[in-house]
Amino acid sequence: MSKKIRLLYMEGVSPLRSQTVYHAVGYAMKQDTPNTIILVSPNAPYVSIGYHQDLQKEVDLEYCAAHNLPVYRREVGGGAVYLDSGQLFTQWIFHKEDLPASLEERFALYIDPIVQTYKELGINANYRPINDIHVNGKKIGGTGAAQMGIAEILVGSLMYTFDKKTMSQVLKVPSEKMRDKIFESLEAYMTTMTEQLGSTPDRAMVKDLYLKKVSEALGAEIVEGEWTAEEEAMAKEIDARFVSDEWLYQKGQLKQQGVKIHQDVHIVEAAFKAQGGLIRVIARLREGRIDDVTISGDFTLLPVFAVGALEQSLRGVAATPENLKSKIEEAYYRLNIQSPGVTPADFTTAIMNAVTPPQAA
Amino acid sequence: MIFYACDIPEDLTYDIERDVWIRFDGEIATLGMTDVAQTRCGKIAAISFRSVGKKVEQGKALATIESAKWVGPFPAPFSCEIVETNEKGFAENILLANKDPYGIGWLVKVRPTNLEAESSHLVTGEAAAEKYKERIKELKVNCLRCID
Repeated sequence: MSKKIRLLYMEGVSPLRSQTVYHAVGYAMKQDTPNTIILVSPNAPYVSIGYHQDLQKEVDLEYCAAHNLPVYRREVGGGAVYLDSGQLFTQWIFHKEDLPASLEERFALYIDPIVQTYKELGINANYRPINDIHVNGKKIGGTGAAQMGIAEILVGSLMYTFDKKTMSQVLKVPSEKMRDKIFESLEAYMTTMTEQLGSTPDRAMVKDLYLKKVSEALGAEIVEGEWTAEEEAMAKEIDARFVSDEWLYQKGQLKQQGVKIHQDVHIVEAAFKAQGGLIRVIARLREGRIDDVTISGDFTLLPVFAVGALEQSLRGVAATPENLKSKIEEAYYRLNIQSPGVTPADFTTAIMNAVTPPQAA
Repeated sequence: MIFYACDIPEDLTYDIERDVWIRFDGEIATLGMTDVAQTRCGKIAAISFRSVGKKVEQGKALATIESAKWVGPFPAPFSCEIVETNEKGFAENILLANKDPYGIGWLVKVRPTNLEAESSHLVTGEAAAEKYKERIKELKVNCLRCID
């Protein structure tokens, strides 16, 4: 790529604009528009939801209203995320012929300068295909892609800080136990530059480092440029759409399995009515295995410590019915568990309902 | 034709640039994602269809597709009016196009509104197969289907 890349540097814009700028450049793009990189951060926190999410099912709107957190639906997929000035969003708006045709290669190209920036800062970051960045098994920011008009878009962030507590608060979840589990899992499986380095690095230095790495990766000069009147007009149009109820509350069809923490880690929840009572399960799955599980309900299980022992025995077990049932039966035998009206098969079903939700008839 | 595991049935018509297949039946055209398109997209996570009766210009979105990694349009190969969508089918099984892109995985049925002026880019038969071979090589795609 020999053409110059235009840089739009926009630290401290409104939450709405931090989302609509890349949509505006994308939709306003013409054949002669330069490939553009926007570095932008919001001046206040907000929540961003994925294109096909159902707002009322995914976001705790009461919490957001009480804490003055606006919510915007982006035209990029994925899940709801809490965002604030602790992230510098790195948005690429390119002509498709200037990016690899394969999505995998496109993500690899986009993610490489972020990884190289982290590495130069002393953070052991690595590209985790297809579109994650990990530091020793923890995720440091997510990425996404979209096509808008003739533009191909890639978005992600340089993660200075991330407010995990508020992230766990803004999601609509079936129980507070589930919320606690999400927070614990964010703590266990997400990281930031500040956590890795012990202090927040200088933002101007990180920005310059990132641009140097992008320039090296693309073999192109990056020149700070102007936001055009046409892009501003498009941004105003998109601003209006993004705050409209029609856009925000549109019916979402995205069916997700629980809450995704990162590529390999999901939190899932389910209940199963056994003869002897209701069994509730919240499980954290890591690469198809039970990483952590909480079992509760109104069943009777003796001895009293057996629930904890059962949970403990399931950690690390591959989440298949055979493996789970065998482990639970073993715990029943070992601890002489008594559970009137509830069998190891019932616990297995409850956990499997969380792992693989039964299809609606 | 099967090339790098990509099936390109020669009885269909294609907009190769937009990766859309077309089956004409009288004044109605059924449209869907090609094997190449569904492979590049990956497992579909959600689709939102424009409404039946909506008139869509050539190149504009008839539906918006989300895979795990990407969101983008299912583009109209020519200007048309939507007469039917496969919304119900995808609601029951979101992977229809990943399993059977040329059959139950069709996306929309349309009535072309300016076909005469907007059909010169469409290809079929051997010509389509030859052009798709070039595209598959250029994109370095090996097609994959979902089984379940």
